[in-house]
Order: sequence, then structure tokens, then C-alpha cells
Amino acid sequence: MKILIVDDEPLIRELVVQIVDDLDMGIEVIEAENGLEALDKIRTETPDLVLLDIMMPKMSGFDLCRILQTEPPHWKMDIVILSAKGQEADKQIAKALGIKKYITKPFKIEEMIELIKGYAVNRELL
Amino acid sequence: MKLSKLFKKTLFGIIILFIIVFITIIVFSGWYLYGNLEDEYKSKGTAIAKSIASSSAETILNLDSATVQAMIDQFLEIEGVSYVFVVDSNMEIISHTFIPQIPPIIKEKTKEKLPEISDINIEGVGRFLNIVAPITEGAIGYVNVGMNKDSITKRMWVVLINQIIVLVSIFFVSVVLAYIMVNKISQPLNKLIVYSEKLLAHDFTAKIDIKSEDEIGLLAKTMKSMAENTYEVFDRYEYALKDAVMELQDTLSYLTTIIDNMADGLIVVDKDGVINHLNPAASQIFGKPEFEMIGKDIFTLGKDIEILARNSLLSDKVISSEIHLPNNRLGLASAKKIEKENFADDSDARGLLGSVILIRDITKEKEIDRLKTEFITTVSHELRTPLTSILGFVEIAKKKFNDVIIPALNMDDSKIVKASGTINRNFGIILSEGERITSLINDILDMSKLESGKVTWNFDYIHIDDVITTAHKAMSSLFEKKSIPCFINIQLGLPTVRADRERLIQVVINLLSNALKFTDKGRIVCNAELAGDDIVVSVKDEGIGIPKEEQETIFEKFRQVGDMITNKPKGTGLGLPISKKIVEAHGGKMWVESEVGKGSTFYFSIPLTTKNTVGSQDEDTNS
Repeated sequence: MKILIVDDEPLIRELVVQIVDDLDMGIEVIEAENGLEALDKIRTETPDLVLLDIMMPKMSGFDLCRILQTEPPHWKMDIVILSAKGQEADKQIAKALGIKKYITKPFKIEEMIELIKGYAVNRELL
Repeated sequence: MKLSKLFKKTLFGIIILFIIVFITIIVFSGWYLYGNLEDEYKSKGTAIAKSIASSSAETILNLDSATVQAMIDQFLEIEGVSYVFVVDSNMEIISHTFIPQIPPIIKEKTKEKLPEISDINIEGVGRFLNIVAPITEGAIGYVNVGMNKDSITKRMWVVLINQIIVLVSIFFVSVVLAYIMVNKISQPLNKLIVYSEKLLAHDFTAKIDIKSEDEIGLLAKTMKSMAENTYEVFDRYEYALKDAVMELQDTLSYLTTIIDNMADGLIVVDKDGVINHLNPAASQIFGKPEFEMIGKDIFTLGKDIEILARNSLLSDKVISSEIHLPNNRLGLASAKKIEKENFADDSDARGLLGSVILIRDITKEKEIDRLKTEFITTVSHELRTPLTSILGFVEIAKKKFNDVIIPALNMDDSKIVKASGTINRNFGIILSEGERITSLINDILDMSKLESGKVTWNFDYIHIDDVITTAHKAMSSLFEKKSIPCFINIQLGLPTVRADRERLIQVVINLLSNALKFTDKGRIVCNAELAGDDIVVSVKDEGIGIPKEEQETIFEKFRQVGDMITNKPKGTGLGLPISKKIVEAHGGKMWVESEVGKGSTFYFSIPLTTKNTVGSQDEDTNS
């Protein structure tokens, strides 16, 4: 299983890396600093799960989603929004873009662990 | 010569009187005189006839007609006697005084025996009284004497004319007398008239010179004192009026100055929505000179303000709304209808005068507000990212410390045991304080959104019991932790209400957590029941209670019960203000009843028919 963490804040990326490492489930974490870089990584690395920030330089999370919508091969990839923007309006936009999960920063470590574990189990079942 | 009216009237009276007197005198005197003169003539004629008859008996017997003729001729000289003739017993005229001959009518009449007195009209000569006297009782004949009736009339007229001359002289004398007398009366009256005319023209300094002691003098005196009194009263009132007018002008200019110098725009419309009055600020706000606005319909200033004005005319309350102003500016307008006071029964549209509208340019405030919200939003977002790192890394550090480090430590060393305990506790403090910052940021963001009206509401028909049980479930672990029982008491069959479920859960959770926070022992009861057109939810605790003076302020931002330093409560101080805002957005109310030491009960009401207080912001999704 491959997780892509997209965030312009290196410490958040590091945090996710540490959590995944600690899980010790053989999950690979790749990183991207912004939407543009993420798009490139998605196309080349085809991650299973994308943890996506919204407010980023060069390309925002929502813009990335809009581009991905036009690329059918990525349909099976899951995207979870991981944002400091916790307003109802943003959640509505995410919903409209077909995103099912929305996590507001700051999040609990347990919450992240459960999320990743959940996807990992689902993937094995598939 | 101009005759005074009074004299004219008197003259008219005199003339009428004299005409009556004239007619009366002429008629009565004429009639009386005529009667008298006729009687005189009759007796005169009779006497003459008798005298002729007595003296002529012998002469007639002798048939000496010449002597008879001579005798009767001399009687003609007596005044009034016109003719004399004598007839014999055969009714033959034996002698007469007619010249040149006996008129035929006499001849005719004497064929019969004439009555003692009779009228004879001899044509072409005149009317006569014929008086007959028998000679020796008619055996010899009769003497006829004719008295001239026309001379009776003549004599009567002579007397009457004399009388008329006297009367006319009396008439002229009385006219002159009347003239003099009337003048004597009217002269002071004229003076009085002139005087009173002057008084009428408010010339109270005018003088009148009448010193007589009669009624006119008295009248003049009374008028003079009346004028003095009136002058005094006038003077007093004039002063009072001047004072009042000045005071009124002062007040008016004071009010006008206030209105003209108001920072806010003021527009007054009549009951048809036509602009009646406005101040310079209003004309500046709308960028039109005053004369272009007065008399126009409020519609010319825009649809927003027109709707506001029309609504205010139909309502007793102050109505406020934001209105669009020219040049993309924004205004806050408040309108209140004005009514004539003390004119309750006036039929004219129940005394409705119109509406007063106050307009403030809030473009700047709105911009500042927008910047504030933006600033708060940005700041809280910027704070969330480092907070995520802090909390995340501390949590991992704590986990690693407990999972990896602690088992590897030598727990026989009391120093190590103590230090590891301290580290663990400190990790806990960092985490809980970090969480407090997180909830503070959330509350500030929530509050700023509620205040700026930028909240996305999800109104739907919901059951209040679902709201309460969900909130209770979320709180149950905390209740168990503190071992405080919480009882839920919901009236059966409550109708659904149109509300935002999540937001109401937020409110109930806030009330329950407050109740728990301030209760150390006792119980908490949550009630929901129908009260009129509202569903009222209450949360009752048996905690420390709230002093009367603080019961209002706890709904203000950053206010909590008790001393913030010594009795440090855990919370942001924004829970109640946020809850109150949410309830108000549903058209409901929030209030508290409390007694220090006994506990508090917080209530909120949700109306069954939601007034659309959120309005267009329902759809507003920008943030």
C-alpha cells in the first residue's frame, strides 16, 4: 500500500511519516509539497490513498481534485482532505468533488491511525 | 351739506308723522267744517225763507208781484243766497230772482211740492240747497230760497288752507329743531365712533374729549377704561407672544441644527412614501442635491430603501436593514413610522404621518468587519498547522515514551520513576492545553462567523428529542467520569421544528457541559416541552449558581462565572454567546434562572414556525 501525503508544511508530512512508520505495516509514504508536484507523483507512482491539504502554493488541493476528475484512471484512488480549513463551506466543496472523508487539523493521532488502518484492511479485503 | 344718518332717520320719521297728521286733519277738519257750514246754510236759508214767507203773505194775496219781486231781490245780497222764488198754491212761480230766466230744472221741480230741504243741480250754474218755507201754511204758496253749495266748499278750503300753512310751518320748524338736536347728540357720538375706530386699529394712545355727564359721557368714560384695560392685556400678551415665538424659533433652529449636523442621513417620508424632509448627510449619501429629492417618491432612492420605508409604515416597530447606496456603498437604514399624537379619533389614516428613516454609511464598517473576519479566519488557520505539529509530535513522543522508553528504564531508581512520572504528566498538560487552544480557535471562528452572518445553515424539520439524546450520548462519558447523574425528560409527541440539527446539538452539548463543569455533586435534568408556539428546552443543574448581577453578562463574550484567576474554569468563555446566537438565528430566545448555591436553569426556545431571521444568508457559502 502506498500513501501520498500532500502538504506544503514539512512538519505535517513528517508527522504522517512517523505515524505510518510506527504502524509498521509495510506501508510506503511518498510526499509532495503542492498540488502540482502531487499530480506528477499520482501519475507516476499511483498511490492508493492521498492525504491532501487544501491551501498550498502553486496548486491547491481542490484544484488538484478538479484535474483528477478528468483523469478516469485515478477513480479508484481514495482522497482524504487534511485541512486547517474546517468550515462547512469547504466541506461542501469537498463533497461536491466526490471526496468522502474530511479531517480537520489539528487531528488526533488515533484518528489518523484508524483511518490508515481502515484503508489498509479494506485494501486487503479487496 | 352732508346729513348724518341719525338725522336722515329722524327726518324720515318726521315726514311720516306729518303726512299722517296732514291727512287726518284734512279729512276730519274738511268733513267737520263742511257739515257745520252746510248746517249754517240750512238754518240761514230757512230763516230767510221763513222771514220772506211771513212778510209776503199779504203781498201775494194781493197779487202784487212787483212788490214781491222787490222784496226778494234784496235778499240776494245776503251771503250764500243764490236765488229766491215764490210759488202760489197752484205751484205757479209768481216771482223769482233768476236772470235772465227760470232754469228749466226749477220749473220741472216746482210742479210738485218740494221737500223742506233738497239738493238742486242747475247745469252750467252750480249746485244749490233748495229750502222751502210755506206761506200761511201753504194756503197761499211757498217761498223757495237757493243757497249756493259751492261757496260752502270754497269757505271750507279757505279754512283748510290756513290750517295747512300752519302745519307746514310747524313741520319746517320741527325739522330745524330735529336737525339741531340730532346734531347735538351725534356730534359726541361721531367722536366716539372716531375713537373706537382708532381703538380698532390698536391705537390705544388715542384721546376722546367728551366731558358731559349724560349717557354719552358715561359711555365715553367706559370705553376709555375699556381701552386702557385692553391695552394692558394686549401689551402683556404681545410680550408673552414675542417670548413664545422667540423660544419656539430657538427650539426650531436648535432642532434643525441638530438634524442638519447629524452624521447619519435622515429622510422623512409621508404616508404615501413621498420624501418630505432630509438632512445634508442624506443628500450626501445619495449624491443628490436636496431639491432633487424633496417631493419625489422614495422609490427614486432605490428598491431597498423603498421596501424598508413601506414596511415601516405597516409596522409599529423599528425596522432595520442593509441597503445598497450609490457607488457600490452599503448603508444601514432604520425606519420607524411616525403618528400624530393626541389625534386618536382623527379619521385621516389614523393619524399616520409617515416614516422617519435614518441611514448610516457602513461601507467602511462592513469592510473592517470583513477584514476582521478574514483576519480571524487566517489567523486561526495559521495557528492550526503548528498546533497540529505540536499535538501530533507530543502525542507520538508520549506514546513512544510510554511504549518504548519506560519499559527499558530501571524502575528501581526512585529518581527515574519520579522523572518519568513528571514527563508523562507534562506531556498530558501540553496535550490538554493544546486541545484548549484548538477549541478556543474553533469557538472564535464560530463566533466571528455567527457575528458576520457567514454561517451555512442546514435547516430541516427535526425532532428535538433526537437532538437532546444525541447531545446526551456525546456527553455521557464525561458525566460518568464525574459521577453526576443526568436525567432526560422529554414531553411526548413534540412536533418537529425547522432547525439546524448539528447546531442545536452544539447548543445542548454546551449547556450540558456547562452544567457539569459547575456541579460537583447533585444531578442535572434536561427538559423539553411545548410552551405556546415554542418548544422550550431547559438544562437544570445543582451547581454553584449565578449571582443576579452576572446573569445578563454571562451571555456576553469571554465572560464566565466567578473569578477567572482563582477559580479558573476550563472553557473559552464563548460557549454561551455562541449558543445564544445560534438560538436567535432560529428565531428563539435564551435565558437563565439561577440562585447562588442552589443551581441554575438555562432555557432556550425554538419557535414551531421559524421566523426567517437568517434570511438570505441561508444560501451564503463564501468564507
